[in-house]
Amino acid sequence: MKHRKITYIAQGVAAILLVIASGMKFIGHEHSIAIFEALEMEPNGRYIIAIIELGAAILLLSSYAGVGSVLAVGVMFGAVIAHLTKLGLVVNDDGGLLVGMLLVVFVCAGYVMVSRRREIPMVGGSQR
Amino acid sequence: MKTAIAVNLEKISRMTNIGIVLLLVGSGMTGYFVSFYFHFLTVFFMMLVLLNLHWRHGQTSHALLSNFGLIAQFRYIIESVGPEFRQYLFSSDTEEKPFSRVERAEVYNKAKGMDSSSAFGSLLDFDHAEMKLRHSFYPVDKDAVQPFDVAVGQARGIESVYHIKHPIMISAMSYGALGQNAVRALARGAKRAGAAMNTGEGGYPKYHLMEGCDLIFQMGTAKFGVRHEDGRLDESKLAELAARDEIKMIEIKLSQGAKPGKGGLLPKEKITAEIAELRGVPLGSDVVSPAHHIECTDAESTVEFIGRIQQVGGLPTGIKFCLGRSDEFRELVKEMKRQDTVPDFITVDGAEGGTGAAPKSFMDDVGLPLFKGLPLVDQILREEGVRDRLVLFAAGKLISPGRQMQAFSLGADVAYSARGFLLALGCIQALQCNRNTCPVGITTHRANLEQGLDIEDKAVRVANYIEALHHDYKELLAATGSITSSQLCEDNIYIPIRTVMQRSDEEAS
Ligand SMILES: Cc1cc2nc3c(=O)[nH]c(=O)nc-3n(C[C@H](O)[C@H](O)[C@H](O)COP(=O)(O)O)c2cc1C
Repeated sequence: MKHRKITYIAQGVAAILLVIASGMKFIGHEHSIAIFEALEMEPNGRYIIAIIELGAAILLLSSYAGVGSVLAVGVMFGAVIAHLTKLGLVVNDDGGLLVGMLLVVFVCAGYVMVSRRREIPMVGGSQR
Repeated sequence: MKTAIAVNLEKISRMTNIGIVLLLVGSGMTGYFVSFYFHFLTVFFMMLVLLNLHWRHGQTSHALLSNFGLIAQFRYIIESVGPEFRQYLFSSDTEEKPFSRVERAEVYNKAKGMDSSSAFGSLLDFDHAEMKLRHSFYPVDKDAVQPFDVAVGQARGIESVYHIKHPIMISAMSYGALGQNAVRALARGAKRAGAAMNTGEGGYPKYHLMEGCDLIFQMGTAKFGVRHEDGRLDESKLAELAARDEIKMIEIKLSQGAKPGKGGLLPKEKITAEIAELRGVPLGSDVVSPAHHIECTDAESTVEFIGRIQQVGGLPTGIKFCLGRSDEFRELVKEMKRQDTVPDFITVDGAEGGTGAAPKSFMDDVGLPLFKGLPLVDQILREEGVRDRLVLFAAGKLISPGRQMQAFSLGADVAYSARGFLLALGCIQALQCNRNTCPVGITTHRANLEQGLDIEDKAVRVANYIEALHHDYKELLAATGSITSSQLCEDNIYIPIRTVMQRSDEEAS
């Protein structure tokens, strides 16, 4: 089924980008540190977000992709808030690259969430 | 039943729905002004608000969620752990009344087109008071079962014979008792499955007619829709209705199981301009349904009245009642023979037969239960020799294939159900039909509750339910070794407590 295929591709794309994003945070790339300093969350917030992103990526590649997509969408919501309220759209002179990646993850994870809504526990279980 | 939770559900849900938005705003502000960490909460509430919006405006398959949002989700969550709680603390799955969870679940599953097989063992009090169908040593092949076909009106030799093609029909429920969405969903489902539906005594069946299904027009004791102002029959209105293509039969209601021997009262508050028009009653005063048709005061006048309707309508015409005294019924049948006027069908309604509203004592304490009344009616008709001049319908909790087969064995030709179809529509047995507050939008006229009942979605469930019942009917019939249900008789069922009819066979000892 075409629909299923798109879902799998979306899961893969979101997972790869999430792994990259969390990796940058774990190794303490200077851009990441700058961002979390601006948010006054350095260093704890950086590690918390990195862990959630990694978790979401792993779940997206497992049979719990529905749960993973919810986590990923949640983190991306947080990132959107950060960019809109504190950081601005262009960060560290990247020409909007970071925000672009963020939106890609958002769309992919959002798609997965919608197409796998029935698999989400508590919420989706009753949708049958 | 008055329960604190039901009364407040709307208020609580409104508070919840507004509350989560306020929480979202609050956490957003603290996130901005105090610490970015608060945005973890912002994100949580944001997803909750979006989800809630989806439940209330984006989905159509769950009326409760659509009407109440988040708070209703607790029902699903609690329901999902309910069996455990109930098993230890509260009533068991077979205890609830009028329909136990086990009985309801079967309807829900059939309506949703899901597998309704069960595993390991029966949940009923198996070795006690259950009636059972007796199977045969020699079941027939399922394909050998004759297609269901009951012809009403054939014995009278009229042109407008109606062929019933499903063992189950939708019993009388009026627009008024039901909201318009519920009526239309039922009618659309019936149309899809090719089954017949009774209009109930609500007058001109405007919403029933919208979907084009086969209809049985019911004329209640007040003759709503076909009356003169003084409550007598307006023949021209009846003839006009009967001429409509969709109207296939006419049912004269003499009494109803829920309130036998008593008419209803429609309070003036409930009479909207539309209901006044459809029912043909004046606006601004209470309308009392008499306990009997003005024209029918004894056996003679009743039979005359039946004959008159048969003439005026030109359609198969029958009567519906809940049996009281069998000697009275025998007298009525004798009068039918004397006048040579036999109704084309008789609907036997069991006592208790549910309704939107009935006085408690009438619902609980008057009239014969179906499985007592039905065989008595069948027996009297046979003894008087008119059984093959008419068709017998039966109503009264016939919501499962098993109960239906029992009714067929006790003399019924076709089963009728009202509440089975309400369950198929998503009824959760909240027991508030008389209060205009039905939480799933079935027996209410309040637009904000009705909007949760999606006509198309529920029509599919109604059709599924009819098909599934028909399927099970064939399988059960095959197991008894019969190829048509008219071959069934009382010997096909086992009655542990001998209350239905005293017979001497091997269990008598
Ligand atoms: C909401 C509701 C409305 C009803 N309205 C009528 C009616 O207008 N006329 C009537 O003869 N019976 C009416 N009934 C009774 C049913 O047609 C039926 O005889 C009874 O409910 C027994 O069937 P059941 O056990 O399958 O529900 C109504 C029942 C319900 C639940």
